[in-house]
Amino acid sequence: MKRLFISLATITIFLFFFVSCYYDNEEALYPTLSTACDTTLVTFSGTIVPILTNNCYSCHSNANATFGGGIHLQAIADVITNSPRVVAAINQTGQFPMPPGGKLTNCSIVQFGIWVRNGMPNN
Amino acid sequence: MKRIFPAFLLSLISMGIFAQDDLMNIVDQSSPKDINLTTATFKSTRIMNGHSIERMPPGQLDVRISHRFGTINSGGYNFFGLDVTNIHLSLEYGIFNWLMIGVGRGEYEKTFDGFAKFSILRQSTGARVMPVSVSVVTSIALKTIKFPDQTRTNYYTSRLAYVTQILIARKISQGISVQLTPSYVHRNLVATELDPNDIFAMGAGARLKLSKRVSLNGEYYYIANPKTYLSQKVYNPLSVGFDIETGGHVFQLFFTNSIGMIEKAFIGETTGSWSNGDIRFGFNISRVFTLKKHNKPSNY
Repeated sequence: MKRLFISLATITIFLFFFVSCYYDNEEALYPTLSTACDTTLVTFSGTIVPILTNNCYSCHSNANATFGGGIHLQAIADVITNSPRVVAAINQTGQFPMPPGGKLTNCSIVQFGIWVRNGMPNN
Repeated sequence: MKRIFPAFLLSLISMGIFAQDDLMNIVDQSSPKDINLTTATFKSTRIMNGHSIERMPPGQLDVRISHRFGTINSGGYNFFGLDVTNIHLSLEYGIFNWLMIGVGRGEYEKTFDGFAKFSILRQSTGARVMPVSVSVVTSIALKTIKFPDQTRTNYYTSRLAYVTQILIARKISQGISVQLTPSYVHRNLVATELDPNDIFAMGAGARLKLSKRVSLNGEYYYIANPKTYLSQKVYNPLSVGFDIETGGHVFQLFFTNSIGMIEKAFIGETTGSWSNGDIRFGFNISRVFTLKKHNKPSNY
């Protein structure tokens, strides 16, 4: 009887967490507008650096690059050198899909590809 | 009347002799009052990635360190995966003889997780025969990694995932144990409309005892959801390895294709495939500390 009571109490406590049970997906939750992703004006300082800051520098900055396997992505020269590896990683086609926590937004991946295709200018 | 009464007495005596024979037969048989509970179906509370039917005895704390390296196909420069690491730390405690709870934190997606394992049935022989042991595991996982897109509204509930598993195990002999694990994983937020929020999987695990201290384990989860049109290519997790028990430690060494160490991560988010060579070496180290001594003998 005591076991039954404690089981029910524990399951009830767990059910309080189950109340926040959602069926979300990113496509429906964040519908991308056609104007949201700027693919015409892609600059290093305006477009690429924010992407790197928000997603990559926790491991790949100059300060703590040991977490990132020694790959620096802070100076533009380092990004240019590592760009093939970066492209493979963010497209999840290489051996180290990046960022480890989840894929970048399609917009960010496309913008990085556009910057590479433009010759990786320092703008 | 004079003849009938002695005849009647004689018949009573002969009936009495038959009764004594029956009593002797009963004493010769072993007493069926004892219930022999099966113990040590597996060496540890995990088969390798997933839960096993074993639980912590009351008052004992299990400190677990789980480690997965990188994939072997990353080449010699990366020392065949040993340069990349993924760690999960957890503390697991037995509250009652039938209830165990655990909390953990893993590096993959910086996830905190907690679980409770209830023992429902115990395999036994003797007076009460139960062919299998049954337990229920329920767990919650919380991703704490920053959302990649900070400009949109990110919800706290998008970080949660829930898992429920029913563990059905049988110790077939002293050396062989098997377990079936029907599992249900729910993720609050998935990437696309075609990715399932609910994943149904059937796990199977087995152990072959090689010696007193070493056993060979295998574990496979078959994901029932269709794997086409998903945002990333997902494979069924398969792990093969050894358990080595030394005194208070259990070392589990194995090869697996999944980087995640909690159910939410390795069921449904395993992107490595054995045929591609995305095989990782991993190990779990488990050390049991006794926090509270109990008079009853442990059933571990």
